[in-house]
Amino acid sequence: MKRQWRNVICLGLLNLILVPVSTPRLHAQNNKKEAAPMKLRVGDTAPDFTLLAFDGKELKKVSLQDYRGKKNVALAFFVFAFTGG
Amino acid sequence: MKALQQNLSRLEGADTQVLGVSMDSPFSNFAFAQQNGISFPILGDWGGPVTSRYGLAQKFDIQGVPMETARRATFLIDKSGKIINEQVDDEAVDPSKTVEACERHKLKN
Repeated sequence: MKRQWRNVICLGLLNLILVPVSTPRLHAQNNKKEAAPMKLRVGDTAPDFTLLAFDGKELKKVSLQDYRGKKNVALAFFVFAFTGG
Repeated sequence: MKALQQNLSRLEGADTQVLGVSMDSPFSNFAFAQQNGISFPILGDWGGPVTSRYGLAQKFDIQGVPMETARRATFLIDKSGKIINEQVDDEAVDPSKTVEACERHKLKN
């Protein structure tokens, strides 16, 4: 009987030690949404593309390869027009 | 976009062309640029083929309506076509790191 109680107390103490350590970690995982890994990384070659831009008068083709050997390009993808930022 | 516009002279000074991309039509991008005083081209990636090629297509569910749009990201691409800096998601709102990377790159070359 005595030994059983001792086991119960030991288990209880173990819980006290282990639970507070593991709980915050679980919370942290739930709250933090992991960013998806990027397909393209620094050092990769940027894929070529040709898209259209409107300048108020006409549509113009713009290609990444137009700037090869001439200029760096800061290519900024954003969510949608008129959505801030 | 506005933050890039504010840094445009520094970026151009470091030999860099700024190009915006969104999955809107070129016409709504032009209207957006005019309303916000943006002078660099904003390209229309209608349907998102380029957004997908760059690994940025993202599915959203807005009030039960599925939508596909781009993750916010700014790539700095050098003259050889290599990516030399990238800023993603919330980090891409402030383009300071892109501007600094541009200026560092100019000093090196």
